[in-house]
Amino acid sequence: MTAHDVLLQIGQVAAVLLLSPLVQGFILRYEERVQRARGPSLVQPYRDLWKLFHKELVVPEGASFVHFVAPVVAFTAMLIVPLLIPVLTDYPLPLSDMGDILGGGLILTLGGFFIALAGLDSGSAYGGIGSSRSVMVSILAEPTLILVFVGITLLAKSMLPFVVNHLLANHLAVYWSPAHIFLVCAFFILLLVETDRLPIHSSTHIEVYMIEEARVLEYSGPLLALVKWASMMKQFILYTIFCNVLVMPWLLSTQGTAAGALGAAIAVLGKFALVACAVIVVETAQSRLRFYRYQEPLAASFVLAALAIIANQIR
Amino acid sequence: MTLLLAYIVLVAPLVAVAVCAMTRSPRVAEAINLLMALTTAVAAVPVPFLTHSTQVALDGYLVVDPLGAWVVLCVALVYALASIYAIGYMRLLGEDGRLPRFYALFAGFAWTTLAAPLMNNAGVYWITVELTTLVSTFLVGFEHAAESIEAAWKYIIVVSAGITLALLGTVLFYWAGTVALGPVYDMTWATLTRAAPHMNPTLVTLAFLLVLVGYGTKAGLAPMHTWLPDAHSEGPAPVSALLSGALLNIALLGIVRFGAVAQGAGVGAVSRLALITLGVVSLALAALFIVRQRGVKRLMAYSSVEHMGVMALGFGFGGPLGVAGALYHMLNHALNKSLMFFGSGVTMRAYGTKDMNGIRRVGVYFPFTGALWLAGALAITGAPPFGLFLSELTVLRAGLTPAHSWAVAVMLILLVVIFAGFLNHFRVMYFTGAAPETPPRSEAVGPWCIAAMVLAGVPVLILGIWWPSAFTGVFRSISSALAGGLSP
Amino acid sequence: MTLPHFTPLAASLFSLLAIASLLLTFIMLGSRWLRDYMYAFGLQSWMIAVLSASMGYYAHFPELYLVAVLTALFRGLLLPYLILRILQRLGADRELHVILQPSTALVLGAAGVVFALVVAYHLAAAVGVSSQVVILALTVMLSMKLIGFLMLSVRHEAISHILGLLVLENGIFLGSQILIPGMPLLIELVILFDLLVAVACFGVLARYLMERAGTTSSLQLRKLVG
Repeated sequence: MTAHDVLLQIGQVAAVLLLSPLVQGFILRYEERVQRARGPSLVQPYRDLWKLFHKELVVPEGASFVHFVAPVVAFTAMLIVPLLIPVLTDYPLPLSDMGDILGGGLILTLGGFFIALAGLDSGSAYGGIGSSRSVMVSILAEPTLILVFVGITLLAKSMLPFVVNHLLANHLAVYWSPAHIFLVCAFFILLLVETDRLPIHSSTHIEVYMIEEARVLEYSGPLLALVKWASMMKQFILYTIFCNVLVMPWLLSTQGTAAGALGAAIAVLGKFALVACAVIVVETAQSRLRFYRYQEPLAASFVLAALAIIANQIR
Repeated sequence: MTLLLAYIVLVAPLVAVAVCAMTRSPRVAEAINLLMALTTAVAAVPVPFLTHSTQVALDGYLVVDPLGAWVVLCVALVYALASIYAIGYMRLLGEDGRLPRFYALFAGFAWTTLAAPLMNNAGVYWITVELTTLVSTFLVGFEHAAESIEAAWKYIIVVSAGITLALLGTVLFYWAGTVALGPVYDMTWATLTRAAPHMNPTLVTLAFLLVLVGYGTKAGLAPMHTWLPDAHSEGPAPVSALLSGALLNIALLGIVRFGAVAQGAGVGAVSRLALITLGVVSLALAALFIVRQRGVKRLMAYSSVEHMGVMALGFGFGGPLGVAGALYHMLNHALNKSLMFFGSGVTMRAYGTKDMNGIRRVGVYFPFTGALWLAGALAITGAPPFGLFLSELTVLRAGLTPAHSWAVAVMLILLVVIFAGFLNHFRVMYFTGAAPETPPRSEAVGPWCIAAMVLAGVPVLILGIWWPSAFTGVFRSISSALAGGLSP
Repeated sequence: MTLPHFTPLAASLFSLLAIASLLLTFIMLGSRWLRDYMYAFGLQSWMIAVLSASMGYYAHFPELYLVAVLTALFRGLLLPYLILRILQRLGADRELHVILQPSTALVLGAAGVVFALVVAYHLAAAVGVSSQVVILALTVMLSMKLIGFLMLSVRHEAISHILGLLVLENGIFLGSQILIPGMPLLIELVILFDLLVAVACFGVLARYLMERAGTTSSLQLRKLVG
């Protein structure tokens, strides 16, 4: 565990921490641009976070310790996951043995679970609605996510994301096999769901449709900043898994030099821009689904993951 | 000689189709259809007795063997009887302008049912069976009432879906045969039977079960029989007679031929057990639905399901007795069911309703026809001295082995239940109830209809008293072929 | 069983085409717009035609080229055109899923595919063949059959029933191209024409249904019971 490795690990976490609002800003701006509006500036999320950190903290009367603990837990969980996945380097750093793909998924869900608890904690009606709806969506999405992880594991015969990355980067036959293609499609649908893009647009503020926003309605000031930052980091992490592990496993630093890490960071931004464009296209082309039809894209994702596993067995 | 007769059997209905399609006069259509039907019957009757070995013609596509010739005999007899009856019955419909189209379809349907047993290639056989479905759908829906179209739609969807399973089974049989015969070969019945010992048993079991369920849908074996009551009750009576007496036998022929291949591959026990199980289930379902039934033609349709079950049991029990019983049953059932459908057709027209609650005092208004119909009802439930009694007894005797005695016991109980239920309906129609307010139309029972009924009923009585020795020879050769001889 | 040994490229090509056909079947299972069904069916037929042609190339059966061309023309173009005409005449646009939600149907279909895979493995083991292409062919054939029957059961529109039947036939055709490429040409051609006749009959009957019974939905066709 040399100082070099420690710096790289800190660099990975810092990359996720500092670059995630940029990705969010990119999506918001270019979504508006596609619809021929001006759109906010690329660095607007940074300004929002700065503003929130300087605001007064207002706590509801019925809140317990969960109200304070939940944002911290979510934020911390999002800081732990970048240690486990290939963000900047494509070789495993010393601390990435702490968990594999499934472990990463577990920690991501832990953060979401605590935010759901926080929504219930304050005792307001909107909090309850938001928590129950978000739990319902995750009931539909989690098994599919596990199935996709199983598919990835069977594809590479290993649970470490780094092994999958090497396999896909080096063997073109596996990259273009039906198993991989189906996994990519299944994961893309899950990406749309988990990052609250249409057709399950849960970041809306309209009260009847609120899912995500309802959970954090009672938050203000620095705690709200932590919560928002945590959700931006979750989006970044999911994009990382999608890009660096599945779709574009190239352009990562192999030696771990500073120049390499910097280059990898810029390449990561470029790759994420491409994925974000795809997400924007999908989002602009669709309208929001009725709540009881949320099962349909998720069932499609489930079927794709099952087909991927089967295609893998016959490979 | 047999080949010449086979050609006549194949060509005559086509002539009828051509003439009926071109003419506009209903009388011409009736006449040509009747003429061709009688020609076909006269040509088909001697064929089983003249065929001593399998003969192949037309570049290997046509085969004349004892089993196929027997089925052709049954079909041709029903075609002739139904044509006689149709002249009288279809005139009651009052749509003389559409009659040429009816007779064209009728002759076309008869042609496809006559062609199927003579096809040598299993794939071509499948195509002919599919063609029978397509042609007969329009016949079932001929009367253009809402119920008829509904029945026709249900018929075509269920049966087409079913025989795709049979196609899958055929494909798997072909695949199994590629082991011994290489990737390209002609899938004739003889080739399959010859290659059978080299086929993989598991694959042959799966393929046979698929063929059983697939062609069983077409044959009306329960639980795939759901189309049968609707289609047989909604079509005009001559069409119902042809469907019940001819079409179901064609499908059963396919099952039996593939069963011979399965026997050769060594999985005969499993395949026969499956056939017996389906036969028992058919009998059970038929018994349940016969006891509580309201429509007179639906009653006849469920009786068809029952008799298909008996035939399946006969072929399933196997051996010379079982096969002989099933084949004799085929002939008797064809004649008897035609009689029953003819009778119910005229009764329906006379009383103006399909519901048995509206039919009362048949014996009073129609003494001769009613007596004939009642005799037919006794015959079809298996009472002596009619032919079905003899054939059912033979089948029962064939099943009295330790392995199959459970099936015999169940079959006996169900036959008794069906006897009681069926004849109860007739008792109600003949001997109870007040006379209807509007007396039934007696002109509905015309001379053509009566002639057809007599011609159908008398042989049933004769065959019940006298089992011709010529038949025994035919049956023996068929059963030895099915038990593993080289030519099916 | 006497399949020649395929290069990895050929095997992956067959694998891709077969699984893409299966995916299109799932799209048919889960869609609501009847026109989407039809396009998926047409695309599936084209894929099977390409599969036919490549089987003809790799296994050296030149007559399969003719079969491929005819499949593409008849199953890929003519049949969808006929069904489109039926659709226009009936005026049916979409299917309201009353019996089973499309998502549940998708999951049931996936379960069917798993079952087909297990059966295919056992069958290949019993027959003694270990070629992956054969197992794939058996799996896709059996699962398309199961999904076709599922479509027939849970749908109530007439067009969906017709398309379900065509999916069944497509599945058998796909399997037969891979398992028994040497099947005599005449049989394959006649089956193809037979399909056309069948769809034409369906069209006529569907028109009668609309005229006489007033509906093509099987939920309303309930006059004949007992």
